Amino acid sequence: MPYGKSACEQLSDLQIIQYSLIELDYFSCLYDRYEQRLLAYIKRTLSVHSEEAEDILQEAFIKIWRNLNEFDQQFNVSSWIYRIVHNEAISYARKKRSFGKNNIVGNETVILQIPADDADQSLAETEAVQILQQHLNQLPQQYRSVLLLRYMESMSYEAISDVLKLPEGTVATQLNRAKSALAKLIGKNPFKQ
Amino acid sequence: MENSEKMINRIRQENIHPLPKSVFQLKRLLIGIAFTGALLLGALAFSIILFAIQQTDFSVIQHLQHSRLEFFLGLLPILWLSALILMLAVGTYSAYYTGKGYKIKWTKRVLLNTLFSILFGTLFFISGGARKLEQAFAIRMHAYESIQEKKLKIWMNPEAGFLSGSVESIQDSTLNLRDFNNKIWLVNLRGAFIAPVLSFETGEKVKMIGQMTDNTHFNAQELRPWGGPEQRHQKK
Repeated sequence: MPYGKSACEQLSDLQIIQYSLIELDYFSCLYDRYEQRLLAYIKRTLSVHSEEAEDILQEAFIKIWRNLNEFDQQFNVSSWIYRIVHNEAISYARKKRSFGKNNIVGNETVILQIPADDADQSLAETEAVQILQQHLNQLPQQYRSVLLLRYMESMSYEAISDVLKLPEGTVATQLNRAKSALAKLIGKNPFKQ
Repeated sequence: MENSEKMINRIRQENIHPLPKSVFQLKRLLIGIAFTGALLLGALAFSIILFAIQQTDFSVIQHLQHSRLEFFLGLLPILWLSALILMLAVGTYSAYYTGKGYKIKWTKRVLLNTLFSILFGTLFFISGGARKLEQAFAIRMHAYESIQEKKLKIWMNPEAGFLSGSVESIQDSTLNLRDFNNKIWLVNLRGAFIAPVLSFETGEKVKMIGQMTDNTHFNAQELRPWGGPEQRHQKK
C-alpha cells in the first residue's frame, strides 16, 4: 500500500471513508483496521473456517465499497461496518443452509479465541472456552449475535441497536433472554464440575 | 499479499465503483414519500371514517328483525377502514427505514402512526374536508358507493319500514312527503316520536322509521332530521 500503515493510523474512520472516495488505496486502511476484529466476529457468529470468514469479509468490504456514499454521518462508522458484515455473514449462512451444507466447523474451533501469547492461558480455560462456544452455537442466531456484540466486541446497547437495527429496549430484552438460554444450556452441560 | 491488497486489486480488476450519492438520496426520498404519504392518506381515511360514522345511523340496527350483523357490516365504510389499516401498515413499515426509525419499537411506531391519523383526521373532518373529499371520490370513481348512496339505500326502503325525503307540507298530523325518487307520500305522524330539532319547513329533509300501510301511505313511529351538513346549512 503506497500510504503505509502509519499514515492510516493517523486518520479517523470518517477521514478514511472520505479519502477513499478520492483515492481507492485509502480503503485498505479501513480493511486493515477492522480485519482481525471482524474475522473473529464472523467466526464466532457462524462457526466457520478462517478461509470462509475471509471470503465473507471480502464480500462484505466490496459491499461497503459499493455503498460508501450511503454512509450517513449521524451513524458510527464502526457500527455501520459491523452491520454490513453481520448482514453478509447471516446471508452467507442462509445460502449455505439452503444448499444443505453443514455449517458447523470441523477441527478449527477458534471462535472464542484467547490471545495465543497469553502466558497464563491454561488448558482448562481453553476447554471451557470451547465448551462455551459449543453452547453458543446451539443458541438462536439473534441471541448469539447480541451476546457476541455485547461481551466479545464490548459494544454499547446503542451500538448493538445500530448493528442489528433493533430498538435498544429490544437489545436489552434479547440480551437477557440470551443469557438465560445460555445459562440453561450450561446448566445441562455434562462437563460442568 | 495482504488481504486488504487482494481486496483493492479485486476492486480495480472488476472495476467496481461506489454507487453515486444520488442513488441513496433517491432511496431516502422514496422512503420519506412512502412514510409521509402513508401518514397523510391514513389521516384522510380516518377523517372519511368519521364522516361515515356521523352520517350513518347505527341506531337503525335495533329496528331490524333479521340479519342485523349483515346489515351492520353493510353500514361500515369497509373501503376506508381497509385504506386506514393499509396506510398504518405502510407507515409503520417505512418508518423503520427512515433515519434511525428502527430505534423505535414497532408497537410504538403503530401507536404514533395511529395517533397522527386520529389527530389530523379529526381536524380534517372538523374542517369539512372529509365530506368534500368523499364527494369528489364518489364523482370520479363510478364503482364507488358513496356514503350518501349507502344512506339512501337504507332510508329509501319503505317496505322494511325506512322512509326519507323532503317536507312538502304538513296538515294536522299528516305529513306530505316527497321522497328522493320524487314520489309523494302521506305520512301519519300520530303517536310518533318527533325530534325537537325538526321545524317541518318546506324542503326540510327528514328520515323516519315506521310501517308502510299501502303504496302511498306510511305510519311513522320515529321522525328525525336527515342529518349531516346539508341539514345544518338549511337551518341558517
